[in-house]
Amino acid sequence: MKIAITGYGQELKDNHDPRFGRCTYFLIYDTEQGFLKALENKGQLSEGGAGIAAAQQIIDEDVQVVLTGNMGPNAYNLMEKSGVKVYRCKTNSCQEALELYQDGKLSELNEAGPSHAGMK
Amino acid sequence: MQLTVISGKGGTGKTTIAVALAELEKNTGKVDCDVDAPNLYLYYDGRDMLREEFSGGMKVSVDTSLCTECGLCQSICQFEAIHDGKVNTLYCEGCGACVLICPSKALSLVEEKTAEVILTDTSSGVLTQARMEIGSEGSGKLITVLRKKAQGYAGDDLMIIDGSPGIGCPVIASITATDTVLIVTEPTQSGVEDLQRIVLLCQQFGVKTFVCTNKADINEEIARQIENYCLTNGLCFVGRIPYDDTVLQSINELIPIIYYSGSKANQAIREAWKRIKRQLFVSENKEERKQ
Repeated sequence: MKIAITGYGQELKDNHDPRFGRCTYFLIYDTEQGFLKALENKGQLSEGGAGIAAAQQIIDEDVQVVLTGNMGPNAYNLMEKSGVKVYRCKTNSCQEALELYQDGKLSELNEAGPSHAGMK
Repeated sequence: MQLTVISGKGGTGKTTIAVALAELEKNTGKVDCDVDAPNLYLYYDGRDMLREEFSGGMKVSVDTSLCTECGLCQSICQFEAIHDGKVNTLYCEGCGACVLICPSKALSLVEEKTAEVILTDTSSGVLTQARMEIGSEGSGKLITVLRKKAQGYAGDDLMIIDGSPGIGCPVIASITATDTVLIVTEPTQSGVEDLQRIVLLCQQFGVKTFVCTNKADINEEIARQIENYCLTNGLCFVGRIPYDDTVLQSINELIPIIYYSGSKANQAIREAWKRIKRQLFVSENKEERKQ
């Protein structure tokens, strides 16, 4: 199974980027083969719709799990429809995020988020 | 720490309050992310440390020495951006269809300068802003570049980000990965509607959100509605800022409102800032205790 972690650098020891759409790299980790590669995020270069461009890349790469800080609604809907699970984390390094995920300590991001009471 | 000031609705007083907060603390980094209408710089003099071209995207360029005037480019362009081998850059979307179809390779995509990024050393911290070219769009890409540049100078100091109205791409890029958001709303029907939209966005991105009502006394009833809304949605309401003619004077004289000692708005902003700091401090302490 492939896991994508949003990062500032090209290695697992580099800082974790809490942004999804405009993070610098996706670090692709395979649960069987270990660290595979750093993928440059095309989303950061788009004027608009960065989240969608980034999500497309994740889907094309056949990733099943994303570890990031947060995700906007457009990207999230794509992830949900493609069956990609998104986990929210707030760590310093990408390695830490990966370890927390493997220990089952991260919670899954769901679109509803906090209460929407009073919204139209 | 990064604090982004946004509003949903335009003209509620974001910049006035952003400047006030930046002045209340020493050596704050200031980032003007309202790139469509930047005016934070009006309050500050200083020395430009860096001016850099920003390219938002690609546009088509024609090498007339290779062009055979076959007209294929014109026929393929969906944006009517190319006529008799001449490109109208205001229409060109940079999709590259004409580049693919051109048999004589006379067309190519080139980076187009859409803005200039400027970093200014003011007497109290660095101001980062962009000046856009006519016809270009304020984009999340530009905002991200501004914030990255500013971060390099701000270090651990407080960074005040003056956001833009709306809930679109530039606003998303202004609030992602910030620590805190301050929403400046006003007690009008559109103020409330836009507040609810921007709150939804902030919740989606999970940022700590504070709300204040500017010109609160122009409609007491809606002002109360806003406070109730904050209460029922778990938002931290930090204060009512009264309508105050001194704010107009401050804008005309380009002196931050906090330097007008008799101003009611000044007092209210100072109190709101105290509440924000107390909240941030309390939550930081809690996190430390957890660790």
